[in-house]
Amino acid sequence: MPIATSVVTPIRFEQGLTYAGFLAQAAVNRDKFEKNYNNPALTEDDLSFFRKAAALPHGPRKLLAIAEAWCGDVYRELPTAAHIADAAGLDLRIFLRDENPDIMDEFLSNNGKSRAIPVFVFYTADMRYIAHFTERSASAHAGLAIALEEAKTKLNLPASASFGTLVGPEKQAFLIELISRIEPYSDQWRKDSIEEIRQLLSTALEIPNAA
Amino acid sequence: MPLETSGGRPVVYTIRGCDACVKLLRKWDAEGADYEERRVELSQTTLDEARRYGRLVPIVVWPDGHVEQGFGDSLGCFI
Repeated sequence: MPIATSVVTPIRFEQGLTYAGFLAQAAVNRDKFEKNYNNPALTEDDLSFFRKAAALPHGPRKLLAIAEAWCGDVYRELPTAAHIADAAGLDLRIFLRDENPDIMDEFLSNNGKSRAIPVFVFYTADMRYIAHFTERSASAHAGLAIALEEAKTKLNLPASASFGTLVGPEKQAFLIELISRIEPYSDQWRKDSIEEIRQLLSTALEIPNAA
Repeated sequence: MPLETSGGRPVVYTIRGCDACVKLLRKWDAEGADYEERRVELSQTTLDEARRYGRLVPIVVWPDGHVEQGFGDSLGCFI
């Protein structure tokens, strides 16, 4: 959660990478970013909502992203943030997670144990925190949990089986089964993230989640 | 996970920002294991090479050809 005295000052924010700058420094996955940018999951209704939110006096004007180009969750979700920023006129600045641990520390997940990315943080024009989104939607996390259970059932593994308890070929079969079950949901997860970001902004700004 | 190899070193594909990768390398280093690390975040060629073996780093390719993905109690990082 954001702390009262943030390291993200207006000056620091300006030091972040633009989306073009982020892509330019990315050593990997440029094709994945391009593919997802060119096939946006946002609808006109979504874009209209974000434009409306940004037009509010206390609405978002700045969008900070914490990212790394190697991360599958980032190349799935960051192009969406770029489209939201473009459509709503937000200043998007991207910070590399592993070069900005102090910013990452403000937005840890999993009870402060995980440095999950991407993180998208919405701020007002004067850098007041509004809301933030981390990694993937709650529905995607639920889908992942279901896929875990289905994979265990398919492989006749005990209900207590987990990454930590499985070893050897059994663990590898479990991972392969799990990956095959979640990969088809990438596009749905993108849509779920947009809905969750809308909901977060709707709640924080006290406006209806409607265009 | 046996660390003995019959004719060579295991190759491990990693991302240095991935907690599961860091944990595996710490364990191997503590055990004095001999391995070749290939960092997928530094090169598209290396990333593409790793994707031939799996989707979750760390990915270990043992000298006998068998492959292991992930490490420990976390899912690892999708590539």
